[in-house]
Order: sequence, then C-alpha cells, then structure tokens
Amino acid sequence: MDLLKLSNVAVERADRKLLSDLSCSFKSGEVVVVLGPNGAGKSSLLLALAGLIPFSGEVILSGRDLNGYSRHELSREVAWQGELPPTEFGLTVKQRLNLAIEDESEAIEHVAKSMDIQTLLQRPLGELSSGERQRTELAALMLRDAPIWLLDEPTAHLDLKHQIQCIQMMKKQCENGRAIITVLHDIQQAMAVADHLILIDGKGGTESGEVKQIFTSERLSRLYDAPVVAQGAVLVPNYGDSKYEITR
Amino acid sequence: MLRWSALFLVVVICLFFGLAVGEEWINPFTVSDGLESTILWDLRFPRLLTAFAVGGLLALAGAWFQVLLGNPLAEPYVLGVAGSASAGAVTGLMMMPDSAWVMSLGAFIGAWIGIMFVMFFSHLGSNRMLLAGVVLAAFWSAVLALLLALLPEQGLFRAFSWMMGDLSHSDIPVTVLLIAWAIALVCGVMLSRALDMLLLGERHAEALGIDVKKLRQRLLLLASAVTALAVTAAGTIGFVGLVIPHLMRLLFGSLHRAVLPASAIGGGLLLVLADSAARTVIAPAELPVGILTAIIGVPVFLFLLLRRR
Repeated sequence: MDLLKLSNVAVERADRKLLSDLSCSFKSGEVVVVLGPNGAGKSSLLLALAGLIPFSGEVILSGRDLNGYSRHELSREVAWQGELPPTEFGLTVKQRLNLAIEDESEAIEHVAKSMDIQTLLQRPLGELSSGERQRTELAALMLRDAPIWLLDEPTAHLDLKHQIQCIQMMKKQCENGRAIITVLHDIQQAMAVADHLILIDGKGGTESGEVKQIFTSERLSRLYDAPVVAQGAVLVPNYGDSKYEITR
Repeated sequence: MLRWSALFLVVVICLFFGLAVGEEWINPFTVSDGLESTILWDLRFPRLLTAFAVGGLLALAGAWFQVLLGNPLAEPYVLGVAGSASAGAVTGLMMMPDSAWVMSLGAFIGAWIGIMFVMFFSHLGSNRMLLAGVVLAAFWSAVLALLLALLPEQGLFRAFSWMMGDLSHSDIPVTVLLIAWAIALVCGVMLSRALDMLLLGERHAEALGIDVKKLRQRLLLLASAVTALAVTAAGTIGFVGLVIPHLMRLLFGSLHRAVLPASAIGGGLLLVLADSAARTVIAPAELPVGILTAIIGVPVFLFLLLRRR
C-alpha cells in the first residue's frame, strides 16, 4: 500500500499559485527529492504535507485523508525539519532535543553522538554556528518516531563532512523503512539519495517520476533556466572553466 | 535543588523582613502589646501578602507575554498596558471621585483595552510589535495627560499615587489575589511543555503536535486576566514582569516548568522587598512602590538590550 498519495495537489501563498495538479505516490523506504528554483514552492509543498499550511486537492496518508488527522496524530506520522528555530530564550541543545522526545537521555546521547554535537549538549542554541544548529535540528529529527520525514534543505549550513554524513544518514533511515521527502539544491546529493523526483518550476508546473525517467540534463537545464551538463555518470552545473589546473 | 532551597530560604527571610520593617521595627517573634500585634497582623501582613501575590502575578504575566510575542523583552507595561490602565483608572476617578471601586473597574477595563491593542499588532513580528508598543505607550500617555488636565484638583493626588503603584489600599481581597496566584501558577505549569515548544517558533510547535492557535488563545486569556487583576489591585507597577522571568531563566534555565514557579515566587519577593523599602525609606511617609521597581527595572532592561546584540 502507498504510504502517501497526492492527487491534484495545489498550493497557493499570498494569492500566488506555487504548484498545481501534483499527483504522485510513495511507499515506505523511498526517498523523494524535490528540485526547483528559489521561490518555486518546494518548501511550501513540505509545509502543506506537514499540515502546516492549507492546500487544495487530496493527500492520503496511510489510507486516511491528511485533513482528517488531528495535529497530535499528524505529528506521530510526519516529522518536519525546516527553518532554524529562534535562539532568544536561551534553550540549550539538550533542552531542544528534549522537546522532540521526553525523558530519553540514552536516545539523546546516541543521536548527539551521531551528529557530532555530544560536546555541545549544555550550550545555548544562540552560541552555536548555523551548521551546529542545523546538526541539532537533524538530531532532534532523528529522535522522532514518525514514518515520514519532510526535510527542507537538510544539508544547508553544513560543511562537507557533515553533508556526506547527512546524506548517508538519510539512506540508512530509508533502509530501515522510513520515507523521506526532501528539498535539495545540490544535484549530486539528489542523485545520491533519490528514488523519485518532484520538479517544481515556479510557474505552476510540476513533474514527478522515477529518477531514471526524468533526471536528464535537458530537464534540469530547463527547470533552473541554467546550464546543467553530464560529466561521466553524473550531472553537474556548468560554472564554466576552472581558473586553475587541478593538481591530483 | 540547591537553588530552589536557596530561593525558599530567601522567601522566608524576606517575609520576616517585610513584616518587621516599617515606620517602627517590630520583631514578629516578640510582639509586646496589642497595638504592635494590630500593626503587624492587621496592617503589614495582608499588605505583605498582597505585594507577594501581585508581584508573582506580574512576573507570570511577563513570562507568558514573552512567549506569546516570541520576544524576551516583552511585558505588558513595556507594551503600553500601564498607560491604558491608568487612563481607565483616571476616567473612573473623574466619573465617580468618591468611589475607589469605580476607579478599579476603570483600571480593569483600561488594562483589557490596552492588551487588545497589543494583540491586534502581534502578527507584525516581535521587533515591530515592540515598536508598536512604544508608540501605543506614547498614545496612552497623551490620553492620560489630557484626562489629568481635566481632573479636578482634589483627585490628582489619588491618581498619581495609583499610577506609581499603590499597595496601601487594594480593593481586591488578599485571599482572592492569593487564589488567583495559585490558579495562574498551576495553569502555567500544566501548559509548560507546550510553552517550551512555542519557544521554537509556531511552526516547530505545530509540527510537534501542539494546537498553537488554541494554546495562544488560552495563554492570551491567562496573561490578560492576570495583568488586569494585578493592575486593578495595585496600580501600575512596571518592570517586575520583564526583569524577573529573565533572572529566573538565568538561574533555573529556560524550561517553563522551572521558570514559571520561580517567577511566581521571585516576582513576589521583588515586590515584597520593594514595598518594604517604599514603606521605610522616608517613613512615616511612603514612596510609591512603582518608582522603586522602575529604578531597578530600567537599568536591568537596558542591560538586557545591550546583551542581546
């Protein structure tokens, strides 16, 4: 059975149609990557699927209409990672993680270690760098037991090591049966994790399908209105020639 | 645990101190005659409890407004509620100069009107919200100045003493204030985990399963009722709601299951101390207690502003 089924989903914000007629379905253990230019409506799609903004059309989650879920029920099914939370009130990393799960010190220690923040647990969020705060948010997400994760640019702010760690963590979570729908900007990261793609062009147009079918340089070039070229087995943005020769 | 024990010890010392000081020092353990007993238990003790309850209510309201507006520099008085309550009180005084009850009712209505204005602008975001509060405060002080200009001379002293905070003749019985303090604290603690989640922002709180709209409504109702009650009981006493939750966050951490009880007690302590000083510094005359809380509160507020950079 499909874990999530979208039929003719459309999202409008501030009277602007962001996406329309999106129909697709996903199963447990699949990663869906949402690609598109800035302001196209990628984050709004995730917010709609998390029940945080209104949408039209139909979303069936585990056999039930998404709009029929109470807020509490939905939070058990769907975990959302979005903007970094504010830091004004002095919450520490551990207190932040405790809001995702109650009285689970062992679990907190475990995820903190896996996100390299075990030495930051007693520090206030306001004293951390953006990358450390992003890792804290990912650790908070890992504490949630929800079968679906909605991730809005999970690798943003992260250094290369932690970007790789994040992508590997997503793959591992899917092997354990979790479904992930994630917005990414890096094409190579998308290629590394995606089973399905949703392309949103920002003019109301959407396209979805398996990676093999729609991950082509022409489609991505058209989507971003920018050159994307094939280099060996991968697609890369064409930034032009390198300024210096690379010493191997 | 050590910090809680220390706080309770300070409460006991302050209550003893608050009973003993005044125009004359009276040791509560060695009361010598009927007059001293009357001063101690019929005059000072109810006033002490009134100060404790009002201070606690103001600190709780401050903590709630800060979460509601997502801004740790918010409190009802900084947002212009003092001005609107004062305008209401003076209106009541103009209508029925001999009735303290009508003045209190005016203050109660004025406080609610001020809070409604604040909440109307709350969707603007925390910084513009504070700015709106400053402008609203200026508006209410203009209204107040107009009303004071029209007020007959004999009402001026009463109006000024109320506007600076006056614990000497509260129209609300002390038992009502103490019960309100206890109910507000219990309600606050029951909501504490949801309030903690709200510190992450509305979206994060909703994603964690909180019905934010309902929570905000409850919180607004609680904070408004508590503010209106405190203002009605003791006039406008600013900065307790700003300074105390901050200090308690520094001492007890950011989680509300600790911040709210600590603020309810800490706010009470601050007002007991301020009122004790107000009764003693120029005895037999009294200083308005709001002057003392402002003298403490303004530097602390400015320090916190500088620290936030």
